[in-house]
Amino acid sequence: MFGYVILLVLAFLIMTLLEVPGLVKKKAWRELAAFSFFLLLGFALALPQVLGMEVPNPSNAIEALYKPFSGWLK
Amino acid sequence: MLESGKINSQQAIWLMITLVIATAGIYVPTIAVNAARQDAWLSIIIATLVALFIAVLIVSLTLRFPGKTLFEIPELILGKMTGKIIAFLFVLWFIHIEILVFSEFGNFMLSTVLPGTPMLVNHIVAAILIAYITRNGLEVISRFNGLLLPLFVLSVTLLVTLAFKEISLTRLLPVFDCGLADIMKGSAAPVARLGEIIVLAALIPYLNKPGQALRVAILATLVNGFIMIINVLYPLAIFGPDLTASFLYPIYTSVRIISVANFLERLEAIPVVIWITAGIIKVSILRYVTVLGAAQCLGLKDYRPLVLPVGAVVVAGSLLMYQDVAVTTTFTTEVWPFYALTFEAGIPLLLLVVALARGLGGKNKGF
Repeated sequence: MFGYVILLVLAFLIMTLLEVPGLVKKKAWRELAAFSFFLLLGFALALPQVLGMEVPNPSNAIEALYKPFSGWLK
Repeated sequence: MLESGKINSQQAIWLMITLVIATAGIYVPTIAVNAARQDAWLSIIIATLVALFIAVLIVSLTLRFPGKTLFEIPELILGKMTGKIIAFLFVLWFIHIEILVFSEFGNFMLSTVLPGTPMLVNHIVAAILIAYITRNGLEVISRFNGLLLPLFVLSVTLLVTLAFKEISLTRLLPVFDCGLADIMKGSAAPVARLGEIIVLAALIPYLNKPGQALRVAILATLVNGFIMIINVLYPLAIFGPDLTASFLYPIYTSVRIISVANFLERLEAIPVVIWITAGIIKVSILRYVTVLGAAQCLGLKDYRPLVLPVGAVVVAGSLLMYQDVAVTTTFTTEVWPFYALTFEAGIPLLLLVVALARGLGGKNKGF
């Protein structure tokens, strides 16, 4: 499991190394902030799976929201 | 402008065709046949008519605001704060379609051609390819698509022709066996698929002749509807409604049984290659629109830095949210149609009504 965490961190590190130096050189701070937001979101979705943790599934929230309609399509 | 490239109307039509038909052959036939049995093709006809309304709706909304995309229009109509929130909801929804497409293809590969390969491996290979295509911009996606779509059409035509001796149209009888309610029920999932034409609302400013957008949307929807009818009729005429409803991938199974002179057999690799390539293009278009939308709604100068992290969100999200084929099919059957229609028809209709009520936008182009 520890090996998988290292692989995951490595994958996200590669993405950071590919994009961040160019953004810093251009002083594109807004772009950097947006990049970090999506990267952290992806990391937050991936890490619990690697650690084998149970996390709430966002799809269940949508399912609950559309319950009145989905019954008709069953 | 974030994107300097322009595409012509024909490229736009082809993009919209690939966008919709890439996943139209995977779950939609089963869902439609489950609800409407041998009348599923009537469901698709109804779905196409509804999708034509959606096409007219989104084009008339976008053409009222020349040079603005789907992600900038809510801000002009509803004010800065609400508009930004709605635009960002659209971005999240596009990410969700990508996640769903990834899961559909991942599960398809797992249960048919690559049963031993972990889904993550396929996902990562696809994600790298998609990131590379998307970073090159809209023109490259369009040309790539222009190269491949004729090949898809040719091979699909070939496969349908080869199965001709298995086809028996009596399996489609009796017509209107199950009543209008079931036919309507069967049209929900196809409408949600055909309604993905809303992607065009983000591309209209990049057409070289935006005035032709209505023609693009209507032609693409008609072609998509026609291909979807074939997708449903083809397995129905070979297997009849009961067997078709029991298959997860009826088209794949129909191609498997092709046998010409005991010699031309096992052609199922052809639809797999077609679907995977079309799926890659589909997600590239969606990814392009997602990052363009995110960049426009956050006020960025460049969309390219967002391509890779959004890809990470999609891969991680698809493995988290739809682990197996049962979860994916239940979600696409029961939740996806109305959830998708909220964004495809509900919000655009609301925006158009408010724009008309407030008298915003140009008068000559719309309705």
